[in-house]
Amino acid sequence: MKINRRIISDAIPTSSMADITFLLIIFFMVTSTFAATRGLDFSLPKEDKNPPMIEKEESVLITIYRGGGLEIDGKSIQPEQILDYLKPKLERNPNKPVIIRPDPEAAYGDMVKIYDLLRRGKQNGLEVRNISIPTQREIDQFWY
Amino acid sequence: MHLKARKQAAAVIPTASMADIVFLLIIFFVLTFNVEVDKTRVSLPRSVLRTEVPKKAAIVSITEVGQMRVSDGESSSTAVSSTEDVLSFATGVIAGNPEKEFVLKADATVPYKTVDRVIDVLKQARVPVVYLLSDQETVDTAGGN
Repeated sequence: MKINRRIISDAIPTSSMADITFLLIIFFMVTSTFAATRGLDFSLPKEDKNPPMIEKEESVLITIYRGGGLEIDGKSIQPEQILDYLKPKLERNPNKPVIIRPDPEAAYGDMVKIYDLLRRGKQNGLEVRNISIPTQREIDQFWY
Repeated sequence: MHLKARKQAAAVIPTASMADIVFLLIIFFVLTFNVEVDKTRVSLPRSVLRTEVPKKAAIVSITEVGQMRVSDGESSSTAVSSTEDVLSFATGVIAGNPEKEFVLKADATVPYKTVDRVIDVLKQARVPVVYLLSDQETVDTAGGN
């Protein structure tokens, strides 16, 4: 008697694999974004009912005006001169507070630029340890 | 004259390596996949110094015209109409996790008074640290510093 055996293929069918993987690629391409995930860290001070009083003479005040104009302790200055101005003061007192006070109408980008400049002082051998950006409410409450 | 039959080249595109290439692409996309919880389009300020923002940090975004959106870092951002809403949102987030970091994603041209109010409410909500989201500034354009 003749037995007609069916031969079963031992190959894994992979013809549809490319289709499936292409669909997956299209899904990931459409849904993924290169999100901006870096920035400047800015530690907020704890709310203090009685903050330590700082004499104006003991701190350095940087004012940012609308349009990007800068003043340091009442004198007009260029951004690249700020660290040179701070160097002798911080050598005498490394913990001297440096206060950034942007004008309400100044651009936020200008504040970030100055804050970045002060934070980068460490790379140039001048660490600005005490950077403060008081809010308008704090200025109204504690400024004198 | 007897011409020898020409050898015919097979009209087949070799696709054997396609699956390998496609799998490499998939692995790349899987590794870089990032669900963006806040899709607000802003022109970020530029800074040279940039540190990695923690994953799942809460986000407060401010557009060029001062519109604000908030997200706890897990779910999609929702629009808020005033800084009081930001305060109640931040207070709620900090009540759940007092160490939660916040990201401020504000347009570079926003008047500082808007950002000032937001930072003030974050201080009131006892947020420990705020990351000011920024784009990379090259050293040459930063005034040679």
